[in-house]
Amino acid sequence: MNKYIATFHSHFGAMSYFKALKKQGVAAAKIMPVPRKVSSSCGSCVSYEHNAPIDMDDCELDAIYQDSAEGLVCVLSTLF
Amino acid sequence: MLKKLAMPLVGVLAAIISLALVALGNPGNMGFCTACFLRDSAGAVGLHGAAAVQYLRPEVIGLVLGAFLISMARKEFAPRGGSAPITRFVLGFALMIGALIFLGCPTRMMLRIAGGDLNAIVGLFGFAAGIFGGIFFLNKGYSLKRTYEVAKTDGLLAPIVALILLALLIIVPGILNFSVQGPGSLRAPMWVALAAGLILGGAGFISRLCFIAGIRDSVLFRNFSMLGAFVAFIIVILVGNLILGSFNLGFEGQPVAHTDGLWNFMGMVLVGLCSVLLGGCPFRQVVLAGGGNSDSAITVLGMVAGAAFAHNFGMASSAEGVTNNGMVGFGVAFLVVIFIAIFNTFGKNRQRGGA
Repeated sequence: MNKYIATFHSHFGAMSYFKALKKQGVAAAKIMPVPRKVSSSCGSCVSYEHNAPIDMDDCELDAIYQDSAEGLVCVLSTLF
Repeated sequence: MLKKLAMPLVGVLAAIISLALVALGNPGNMGFCTACFLRDSAGAVGLHGAAAVQYLRPEVIGLVLGAFLISMARKEFAPRGGSAPITRFVLGFALMIGALIFLGCPTRMMLRIAGGDLNAIVGLFGFAAGIFGGIFFLNKGYSLKRTYEVAKTDGLLAPIVALILLALLIIVPGILNFSVQGPGSLRAPMWVALAAGLILGGAGFISRLCFIAGIRDSVLFRNFSMLGAFVAFIIVILVGNLILGSFNLGFEGQPVAHTDGLWNFMGMVLVGLCSVLLGGCPFRQVVLAGGGNSDSAITVLGMVAGAAFAHNFGMASSAEGVTNNGMVGFGVAFLVVIFIAIFNTFGKNRQRGGA
C-alpha cells in the first residue's frame, strides 16, 4: 500500500475525485489543502492509500505524487 | 510543533512590519494594504486624478520582487497562466470597486479591526458572507479552467515591470504624481517600505499567506493553519496599537474610514466573493505574480484598472461616506461577478485536465 496525493485544477475536481474514491472504498481518502512541499500555489488535493495511483477522467486532475523514501515524487502529470 | 507555529509566526511577522510601517509614516491602520497601495500607485502614474491618493508605493514593488527572488532562490519560479485571463481581469476590477467602497482590502480590514475601528467588524461579516458565497460556487463546480506552463518571459514580465517602476521612483521621481496632502502623502521612508515589501513578498511566497484562505480553508477542509496566521496577525496588531497608543475603539473618527454600515458590509461581500473566485486575496495575487503566475499578474492589472475607474468616476468612498456612483458601480460590478460565477459553475463539460 502506497500513499498518494492527487492535485487538481479546481476544488470541484478534487471533490469529484474524493467522492469517487470514497465510493470505491479507497483507504484513508482525505480532501485537504495542497501541501506546501508539492506546490507554491494553493488549491485542493486528495490524499489516499492504494497499491497504485488512481487515474480518473472528468475531474480536472493535475498530477499525482507518491509519498516515498525520497519525498513526494510525481508519478502522473497532465501539465503540458 | 514548529510546523504548527509556522503560520502564526508569519502572521506575527506581517503584523510587526505593518505596525512599523504605520509608525514610520504610512496612513493609520493601513500597514501594507495591497488594494490601497495599488490605488495609490495607479494615481502616481496618472491613471486617476484623485490628488489625495497618489504615490508609487515601494511596498507593492517589493512584494513582487521579494516573491520573485525567493521563488528563484528556491527553484520554484513557475511561469504559469492561460486560465481565463480576461475573466480574472474583470474579477480583479470588481474586487477593487468593493475594496474602495469599504476602504481597504482584507489586510486593511484586519488592521482596522485591530485598531479598534468597529466599522471593519461590519466589513468582516460582509467579507465572511462573500467567502461563503464563493464557497457555494466552488462546491457546485466553479472553475476558471486549468492553467498551463507558459513561456518564461510571460512569468518574468511582472518582476521586470516592477523593476522599471522602481527605477522611475528612484531616478526620475519628478515624472510621477505625489500627493502633498491626504493618505497618499503619508508614507514610510522609501527604502524601509521597499525592504518591508521584499520581506513580506518572500515570506508570503514561502508561506502562501492569504487573507481569505484562513476562513476558506476552515470551512472547506476544517484546516485551521492559515486561520492561525489571521488570528496571530490581529492579536499582535491589537497589542501593538495598545502599546503605541493608536488603539481607538469606536465607529466615528477612524482613519480613512466611513461609518455607513450597509456599504461597509456590501463592499467586503464583493471583496470576499471575488477573492474566492480568483483563488486568493489581493496580497496573494501580487505575490503570485512575482512568482511567475501571469494569471495573477492580469488580476493585479484588473485591480489597478478598477482603482483608476473607481476614482475617475467618483465610485470610491471617502471619510464622508459612500457616493451614489459607488452604489451604482457596486450594483453593476456585483451583477457581472454573479454572471461570471454562474456561467463558470453550471452546465460545463468536465474533461481530463479541465481542457
